[in-house]
Amino acid sequence: MSDISARLHNLRALESLSMGRTVIHRVHPLAKLFSALIFIVCTASFGRYDFAALTPYLFYPFVMMALAELPYKLLLSRMLIALPFCLFAGLSNVIFDKAAAFTVVGVTISLGILSLMTILLKMYLCVMAALLLVATTPFTELTAQLRRLHVPAVFVMVFEITFRYISVLLEEVYAMTTAYKLRSGSKKALDMRHMGSFVGQLLLRGFDRAERVHAAMGCRGYSLKSIPPPRRQLRSSDVLMLAAVCLPALLLRFFMVGHLYMTG
Amino acid sequence: MLTVTDLSVEYTDGARAIDAVCFSMKAGENIALIGANGAGKTSLLLALIGVLPSVSGEIRLGETILTKKTLREIRARIGLVFQNPDDQLFMPNLFEDIAFGPRSFGCPEAETIKRVTAALSQLGIENLAERSPLKLSGGEKRLAAIATVLAMNPEFLLFDEPTAFLDPRARRTLTAILAELPQGKLIATHDLAFAEQLCSQVLLLQKGKLVANRGREVLQDAATLEGAGL
Repeated sequence: MSDISARLHNLRALESLSMGRTVIHRVHPLAKLFSALIFIVCTASFGRYDFAALTPYLFYPFVMMALAELPYKLLLSRMLIALPFCLFAGLSNVIFDKAAAFTVVGVTISLGILSLMTILLKMYLCVMAALLLVATTPFTELTAQLRRLHVPAVFVMVFEITFRYISVLLEEVYAMTTAYKLRSGSKKALDMRHMGSFVGQLLLRGFDRAERVHAAMGCRGYSLKSIPPPRRQLRSSDVLMLAAVCLPALLLRFFMVGHLYMTG
Repeated sequence: MLTVTDLSVEYTDGARAIDAVCFSMKAGENIALIGANGAGKTSLLLALIGVLPSVSGEIRLGETILTKKTLREIRARIGLVFQNPDDQLFMPNLFEDIAFGPRSFGCPEAETIKRVTAALSQLGIENLAERSPLKLSGGEKRLAAIATVLAMNPEFLLFDEPTAFLDPRARRTLTAILAELPQGKLIATHDLAFAEQLCSQVLLLQKGKLVANRGREVLQDAATLEGAGL
C-alpha cells in the first residue's frame, strides 16, 4: 500500500471506529463531549511541575480504550503527531530551568526535566481525550451536538468541511501520484520541476471535487442553519457516565491527590 | 407536475449553459435527456435542484416555484443522483450515508432508520449497510447513491449518466430497478438503448437549447440525432 493510500486508510479507520457498538459508543454524544472537555480543562490547568498530580488521570484513557474496545496502537500513532511540538516547547525548559527538583536513586532531576515530563503527560492526556471522543462518536453527531449547543455555525462548518475534505484531497493526491508514477519511468518521487504544475492541478482538481461533494451535501439538505434533531434523549446512564468521568477529574484537580502523595 | 419555463443558466464566465428551455414532467413519467458532451445536460439537472442559479425563467414543482426561500422544500422533493457516485458517498458507512439526507431534513431518528431500511431493501442492498462506500464495486456504489436519494422520499428523481462505469450485468440490474421505481424520472444519458427501454419521452439538447421534445421514436431518427451531434 502506498504512503498516501495508507494515510487515507488511517484517516477512515478512526471514523470507522466511531461506528462501534460498545457501551462507550452508546453513550449520548453530549455526555461524551462534556466529559472530554472537563477532562481536558482539568489536566491542562495543572502547573508546570505537577507531574505526580497528573498521573492518576492516566486511568481515564486506559479505561475508556478498554471499554470502547479501541486499538491502542492506532490511537497512539495519532497522538504521536503532536509529540514534536510539545518536545520543542519543553526542551527549552530543560536547558534554562536547571534547579534540582528531587533525586531518584542518586540521579538529580531538574525542574526543567520535570516540566518537560509534565508537558508530555499533559499532551498525552489531552490528545487522547480528544481522540477517544472522535473514535467513539460519529463525526456528524459530534458537530450536530456543537450546533445544538449554539456554537457559531461557521466554526462547526470549518470542522465539518476540513474533516470531510482532507480525505477528498488525499484521494486526489493518490490518483495524481499514481498517474504520474506510471508515466515517469522509474522515478520514485515527484520531480521538483513538475512540483508547481502538480500542486496547481491538485488545487484545481481538489476545488472542483470539493464543489461537487458540497453540492451533493446541499442536495440532501445540508446547510449552515440546519440542526438535525438529536438521535435520542439524554438518559440517566449518560449522566452517570458524565459524573463518573467529571467528578474524579474535578476532585483530583482541586485536591491534587498525586501532589500530596509526592510531597507527603 | 414539474414545469420548467424559459429556463436559462450561465456559467461564471458568462457563457450560456442552458438557453430558454421549456418542458414539463408529470408524476411517474420517465423522460430521457440526451445530447452531445457539453450540450448542457448536467447543467440542466443542477439548475432544476438549485445548485446552479438560473439567470431567467421559472422552475415550478406543483404550486411551489424554486426560489431561495423554497430551495430546501424543492430539494426534499426532487432527488439528484450524481454521475460519479464517489461525489455523493462521503460518510464512513452506507447506513450513515443514506441517513444523511433524512437527518439533514430534520427527520426524527426512528423515521430515519425506517427510511434507510426501506431504501436498502427496495434496492436489495441490505447486506451493504455496514460497508464503507470506499469498498463497494461500481455497480454497488451506483445503487448506494440511488438509495441515499430514495431515503428522502422524493417525488421526482434526476439521474446524471446512471449507466456510466457499469458493466452489462450491473446495467441490467439498474434498468430493472429504475423501471420499478414509482417516481417521475429525468435521466441524462448517452446510452440510447437504456433511454429507449425506460423512457416514453425524450428531450434533445444541443448547445444548451432544447431542439426536440418528442416521444421515444426520436431515438430512431438518425438525422435528428446526428444533427444534434450524437
